[in-house]
This record gives sequence, C-alpha cells and structure tokens, in this order.
Amino acid sequence: MGDYKFARDKLADVLTSLKEYQVFAPAAVGDVLRFKEVTDPANVSLDYDNTTVPPKELMFPQTETLFKYRLGSTEVEPSVPDASKKRMVFGIRPCDAHAYSIVDNLYGWDFADPYYQKRREGTTLVGLACAEPCANCFCPSVGGGPASEKGLDALMFDLGDAYYVNSLTDKGEEFAKAAGLEAAGDADAKAAAKQGEDALKKVARSIDTAGIPEKLPSLYDHPFWEQFSDRCLGCGICTFLCPTCHCFDIQDEAEAFDARRARMWDTCMFSEYSLHTSGHNPRPTRKERTRNRISHKYSYFPEKFDVIACVGCGRCINHCPVNIDILDILDKSKQAEAKEAKTA
Amino acid sequence: MVDEKKLQEKARETLIRDDVRRLIGWKRGTYGFEAAPAVVTDASQAEQLIFDATCVANPASFIAIEEKKPVPRGAEPDTRKVAVMVKGCDSRAVVQQLVEKAYAREDVVVLGIPCLGVVDRRKAEKLFGQTGAQVSAKVDKEKVALDIGGDVKTVDRSNILMDKCLRCRYPNPLVSDFLLGEEVEKWADDDFADVDEFEKMSPEDKWKHWDEQFSKCIRCYSCRNVCPMCYCVECVVSKLRPQWTRRSTDISENTVYHVQRAWHLAGRCIECMECQRVCPVDIPIMTLNRKMTRDVKEMFEYEPGVDVEAEPMLACYNPQDPEEYIM
Repeated sequence: MGDYKFARDKLADVLTSLKEYQVFAPAAVGDVLRFKEVTDPANVSLDYDNTTVPPKELMFPQTETLFKYRLGSTEVEPSVPDASKKRMVFGIRPCDAHAYSIVDNLYGWDFADPYYQKRREGTTLVGLACAEPCANCFCPSVGGGPASEKGLDALMFDLGDAYYVNSLTDKGEEFAKAAGLEAAGDADAKAAAKQGEDALKKVARSIDTAGIPEKLPSLYDHPFWEQFSDRCLGCGICTFLCPTCHCFDIQDEAEAFDARRARMWDTCMFSEYSLHTSGHNPRPTRKERTRNRISHKYSYFPEKFDVIACVGCGRCINHCPVNIDILDILDKSKQAEAKEAKTA
Repeated sequence: MVDEKKLQEKARETLIRDDVRRLIGWKRGTYGFEAAPAVVTDASQAEQLIFDATCVANPASFIAIEEKKPVPRGAEPDTRKVAVMVKGCDSRAVVQQLVEKAYAREDVVVLGIPCLGVVDRRKAEKLFGQTGAQVSAKVDKEKVALDIGGDVKTVDRSNILMDKCLRCRYPNPLVSDFLLGEEVEKWADDDFADVDEFEKMSPEDKWKHWDEQFSKCIRCYSCRNVCPMCYCVECVVSKLRPQWTRRSTDISENTVYHVQRAWHLAGRCIECMECQRVCPVDIPIMTLNRKMTRDVKEMFEYEPGVDVEAEPMLACYNPQDPEEYIM
C-alpha cells in the first residue's frame, strides 16, 4: 500500500499522535524487555533485539479472567474484551507477528475463542524489521524473515536518521494517517529493501524442515530423545517464552464470596500437565515431554493446520539453562534411523 | 587446570564399571558462553566431556530430579550408581543431599574438580555481545582468557566470573572419590558485603524493589527445578488439594511463591547460584538466599553443605545456639 517515513527524533511525536489507540511498545525493567502500555512516549526506544517475553501475552495474557461470579449464585459476568477499543503493538518483530497468524489457526478452529479473537481484531500490528538478526535466529527456515510482512499491518525499517514505514493493510493505512506520516521517496524504499536483503544474509542458523513433520512420528520411541531430555530441568522457559505455545489451564479462584474463573498459561513440560486423576501419567518422564514439545510444533500442528508452529525467534535456545537447542534436536531427528526405534 | 584427556579417561573408566549406570558432567554447548550439562551412559560418549571456565551448571542438580519409570512386575530396580563431576560449590550440593539422606553415599561416585572460577554469561554478553560461537575459557589467578570462535579475549577475573566465584571459600570439592586435578589455593572470603548493602535500603524501598522484581516472574519454576536442594517429588506450589499457591500470576501469588521457595531453603541453600543464573527474567533470587544464609550463620552458627556428618539444621537442637533473637 503506502510508503511513509518519519524522522528518528520524531518517534515520541508519532506515538503521542496515536491518542485513539492503546499503544504497546517494548519497555525495559532492568535488562529485561517486555511489551508494556506506553505511558510516556519520550521513554520509548526501538533499539532492541527482541523482548524476553513475547508479545503473545497481549493476545492471551498469562492470567486472564474468563468470567466472574458470586458463590451461591448461578449468574456469571463474562469478561470478554471489547474489540471496538483500538490497540496497537508498536515495534513488534516480524517473527512475533508471524506467530499470531499461526496461533490464529488454533483459536479459530472448532471453537472461536472470543477472548483471543476480540483482542486480535481490535489490534493494529506495526512491525519493526530486523537489521541485525541475533545469534540463534532462524526465521527464514520456517517461512519468515528479518523483514517478513506476514501478519503485519505495517512494517518499519530503521534507516538511521529516519524510520521508513510500509503500510500493508487498511489498518496500516489508518495508522499512517493517524500518525500524520509524510510520504517516503524511492531512495527510502530502496534502502529498506537493501536492508532486508542484507539482514537475510546475516541469519546464521538454519534448518531444512523438509520431511521433518512426516518423520517425527516414526521416531516416537527412539532413544535419541534422551540425549536432550536427560538434562531437561522440566521448567517452563521454552514454552512460556515461545510466541506460538498457547496451552492454558483453567482454575476457579474465590475470595470470600467473590469468585472468578480464570485461565493461565500451562506447559507440557510440567509433569502435572498430563497427569490423570487416577494418578497415571501418560508422559511419565521428561523424555515424553520433550518429544511432545518438538513433535507438537513440527509434526502434529502442521498435520492439522498445514503450518509449522515455530517462527525461528530463537527464544527457547537463548533462554534454555541447559542448552537444549531445538535446531540440534531437529538436526539429530533427521539423522536418526527410524528403524532403530525401539518398539516399547 | 584440569587435563581434559585425563578427565575423559577417568569418565570412560567410571562408565565401564558394572556398578555405574550414568555419569553427569559437562560438554560444549551448541553456542555461547555456557557449556551444557551432559548426562552420559556409555563409555563411548566420554570423549564429549569437558571442563573449563564455561562449565557453570551444577551437575548435582540432576541427581535427585531423575524421573524413573515404574519397574515392571517381576523386574529388579536398577540400583547402580550415578557418577557426578563436581566443582567445589557443586560438591556442597552433594554434601547437603547426603546430609538430608536424599540418597546414600554408596549410590554416587563423585569425581571432584578443583576450580578457579566460572564465567557469568550475562557479564560476558555485556562485554562481547551474544555469540553463536562455541566459546571455551581458561581461568587463572588473575585473568580469564575466552576463545570466541578463534578470537581470544582476556578479561580481569572480577569483570567476568560469577559473583559466587569472587567470594568463593570452597574452590576444592568437599566430597569426592577421585580428584581430577591438583587442589587449588583459596583466593577469597565472604564478608556478606552484598547483604549489608541491600539492608541499607528502607523497608519501603525494599517493598518497591521486590514488587518490581516479582512482578516480572512468569512462574516457569526454572529456579526451583534447577535447585539441587529442590527435589521434592511433589512441590507445594504444584499441589491442588489443598492449593497453597494459586497458579495465576500476579504480585501476590508470585511473592508467595518466592518467599515460600526461599524459606524452604533456610539452612539448606549451598549458594551455587543456579536459581539466579537460569532465571529468564533476571530476578535477583540470590539476594533472598544470601540474607538467609547470613541469618542462619549468625543465629544458628550453621553452614549447610560442608560436613557430610552434620545433622540438617532444622532437625537438630544445640543448647549453645546464640538465641539472641528470642525475646
């Protein structure tokens, strides 16, 4: 659609002009970055690699009230978000926007999840292309890229003195108008395209995913999983920080007579995730849980929705305390001989 | 320094033994400033094992969290030993686990490694940025030399080692069956200056500090799971009946979790700093642990994880306790 730009020192002005939106942008607490609602545009900086916690929390918060009720009463008060309230995620990386488009499949499948969908509908995604991919990024291997437009309404490029903005949808156009952006020239568009091409060459890690979704089920009982699961701590880092992991638990909480039903992120890496009421656990050890995490992303999800549930953001690699590296696992899965598999 | 060839030879010798089923040590990670913990079961895997200043993880964490499948009817449980490589700090975890009877002394083979300190990934990444290279590191009494993909960088110890190393009092393993390398001389002492510094804050500022820190928590429980002293089969925070801590994340529940975690380590924390190292959102968990360590030391004259013969602090009574805190 349209080509726009704004001067680097006008960032705060652009954000200030977006009054009709509730704007979220990366914010730091110490060394840790997370998307927060912008309260002071002067403090927003887009000089960042990526947030530690992915912006998935803006569409499905870690803890979210589904409805409220009073103990002893049969009436419930739903807490579905209002889609008419305009929100904007400003400066989201292409991988994280790509992740929303993958998770949309799940939340719009057999039951259209109003909590997720209302938030998605009401939100404009203004992306920021990556000029310097991080050490463990591999987005091009899974259908993305440092300047991928997937799922975005507009994409910004940091050209030094100015940000070049490419609007991609009607929502993106609306943002450009609301922010009063000036038109960009051919030179800016060329500089942005060149930055995108250069960034793509800088992505150091990769995996050829061809054949992986079909092969993983044949490795179900294969001992190679143990090379990784033997040192797995069984914590929630890889899944909670994954922009496409979307599992939740539902619990009721009461304070005297005031109660709510809420859902909160859950993870298949916790043993209680698959624990049955009987005490039986079909995934009794970290081997089965590690296998499930990888197979879900690279086999079960693509089988159902025809897309790999991984965007190559590298968070699970960066933050795993014991170096369980998803690219290493996928690589070993390709080498593993299916016929070696134990028939347990 | 430890001779890697000798370390691998000893590992091979240990894995060949009929009474050993697995060995926990370190291997080079796929990238970056931290080696990966390695669990190996076959002598042919011994050549993966390494030891250098990137070997920060505590292998003792993996002894008690191993999940075993139910033994089939009629079959005998595998009672062979687990071998574990430990630095000085790691060895305190083994000592404390033995004190608590998490397992018996004859269940483990301890391969001790005298250590001159290990690299803090956060400090290294501040200095050199994140790297995709498989970094190796040599440490001596003054400097740390990092090989970052062929590019050798030399840094003063104080700028790159883990804080625990800068105040380390136990560089040599306190329990071991074999020592891999010569014992080293202790270079530091611990005056709890960090705790003094924190205590200077007003109560209001402390609340503000912890509110901000605990608000970040995503309850991934990596601090609990990596802790060598957190080996309960069912953790109190995972219990549903009764549910002592809600699963929802907010400042109240997060605080309950962190205070609970800290108190359950009173007189047990051996300060390996793994909880703080693994935290994805940089919560300074050790600040709580360190305060407790000093309180335990002053109030009970007790130091966990240094004496295999000791009684657990909360299971013993000493009429000579200072008792200054009792009104």
